[in-house]
Amino acid sequence: MSNFSFLNPFGVLDEPGTYMGDFYSNNFARKAQAGNVILNLGPQHPSTHGVLRVVVEMYGEYVVRSEPVLGYLHRSHEKMAEHKTAYGFLPNMGRVDYLNAIGWNWAYAGACEQLAGIECPERAEYLRVIAAELNRISSHLVWWGAFVLDLGAFTPILYAFDDRELICDILQRVTGSRLTMNYFRFGGVGADGDDLFFSKIRDFIPNMRERLKMYKALVTDNVILRRRLEGIGPMDADLCVRYGATGPLLRAAGVPRDVRRSIPYGIYDRFDYEIPVAETNDNFGRYWVRLQEISESLKIVEQAVAQIPPGKHIVDKAPKPSWKLPPGESVFSVEGARGEITVHVISDGGKSPYRVKLRAPGFSNLSVFAEAAEGTILADAIAILGSLDLVIPEIDR
Amino acid sequence: MKMLSAIWDNLKGLYSLLVGMCITGRYFFQPLKTVHFPRDVVEPENLASYRGPLELARGKTDESKTRCISCQMCAKGCPGNCITVVKSKEGKNPVTWLYDFTLCCLCGACVEVCPTAAIQFSHRLYLVSTSREALVLDLLKDLEERVAAGPLPAAGAGTPDAKKPEARMPDAGGPQKAAGGSAAPDPEG
Ligand code: SF4
Ligand code: SF4
Repeated sequence: MSNFSFLNPFGVLDEPGTYMGDFYSNNFARKAQAGNVILNLGPQHPSTHGVLRVVVEMYGEYVVRSEPVLGYLHRSHEKMAEHKTAYGFLPNMGRVDYLNAIGWNWAYAGACEQLAGIECPERAEYLRVIAAELNRISSHLVWWGAFVLDLGAFTPILYAFDDRELICDILQRVTGSRLTMNYFRFGGVGADGDDLFFSKIRDFIPNMRERLKMYKALVTDNVILRRRLEGIGPMDADLCVRYGATGPLLRAAGVPRDVRRSIPYGIYDRFDYEIPVAETNDNFGRYWVRLQEISESLKIVEQAVAQIPPGKHIVDKAPKPSWKLPPGESVFSVEGARGEITVHVISDGGKSPYRVKLRAPGFSNLSVFAEAAEGTILADAIAILGSLDLVIPEIDR
Repeated sequence: MKMLSAIWDNLKGLYSLLVGMCITGRYFFQPLKTVHFPRDVVEPENLASYRGPLELARGKTDESKTRCISCQMCAKGCPGNCITVVKSKEGKNPVTWLYDFTLCCLCGACVEVCPTAAIQFSHRLYLVSTSREALVLDLLKDLEERVAAGPLPAAGAGTPDAKKPEARMPDAGGPQKAAGGSAAPDPEG
């Protein structure tokens, strides 16, 4: 306290340890070099997408060191699972990652089905694919808008939300909600798609393809954007593998790993689509991979809607809310919008699962940041942070 | 050479700027897509599949009678413990059917598990309150009020899978009234 001066309010370090801050920044400042500035990005800063806080040590405009501080949005989902029935934990899955609710739905439902040996009807599998891919598109759209917003362009996010609303309308038709969707059930899905649902999707696909062209002209081809992204924030495959980063990050580093291909689940092996891989290994690669994934997802949805067979959307005798998981454990991975979502369920045959471990891709993806942002200027560090596609509730769980 | 490439760069930048301006300009003259909430509300077709707070379905013979047989399936299956059903001494029908909307995650377990299809999601979008107590809804009373307000326009709309919204859309003063008032269930129609 005594070291605080109004001439030096931001804590420029004359000698280490004189910075006035909370525990994290003080601890972080201990290793700082004299003369460097400790800066808190967040937890309330708009460009950190939610309540992420990153403490950075700055040498002038350059980032010397950084450290993410987590836990501002911890809701103890894993602990909740130990107190609810297996079925009762399903709605939580829509809340772990609010942008990719269906991906989490699938990971948890898949793990429990694997453990109990429940097979889904054919139609349910198709409905799952349609919902998951639409959800992936909407998640990427929000990321796209927010990322470009981080870089200083305001208009694109309005277009992104415009298209996302259409997806929300479609998914609301079957799930009943627009954000925290709880669609999957053990052995199927909650509701069958009606004619309006499918006709809305059929309208949406060409519409979205047109919009993607517009996105390309408006943003992707923009020289300012290119200059902000190309060659910035290198994350090579080695770095990604060391930290366990998955999803578009890993694919932008040239590793064609996508759970839909490498460990096929559901009926993904029936569709014709590509896994976009970029070799450039920079911010622009990650940007390009995600936009490419939108069009690949559109392809999958198109095929799924064309092929969907008639039938039931959920198995007969589907588990009731009081259903008990059989004893044992199972691990199930799906490809979420941000990377590999894994759910590990352990059950001792009791009323609630014994333990549920949720592996959030965002957590590993964020841990890359400290190393990737080292030595960049602050504005580029923000661009790198944006390119990771972070959703804080998922990281904190 | 260096100067030439600098000029070329600037021209390219100018071009991409122009493209952006053209696109934004085109959208500027297109009709408005957003709904300006208090003055304007979402059209009812869109709400047909929206899950609002629970309501009791109308009875099959006597509309103001609930179909609920107090079997407690919904109360036991609910992950949020938001339902309280108390059976009456005489018959099967409940005397109390309380629903705590503050705890509800709108998961649909109760609706799916109910053997008599007595519960359904309403499409009330504008239910707000400043106190927790006001969001504990007495659904039996709510059912009576709805039935008193008039019969349903379409047949079969009382079943959970019916996509027809009840006449829930507030008129011009609706949303503000609901927003400002402390009474929980918003005014009918
Ligand atoms: S929708 Fe889910 S949380 Fe809400 S009352 Fe029904 S079972 Fe409970
Ligand atoms: S499950 Fe249906 S019938 Fe049983 S108590 Fe609940 S509302 Fe009544």
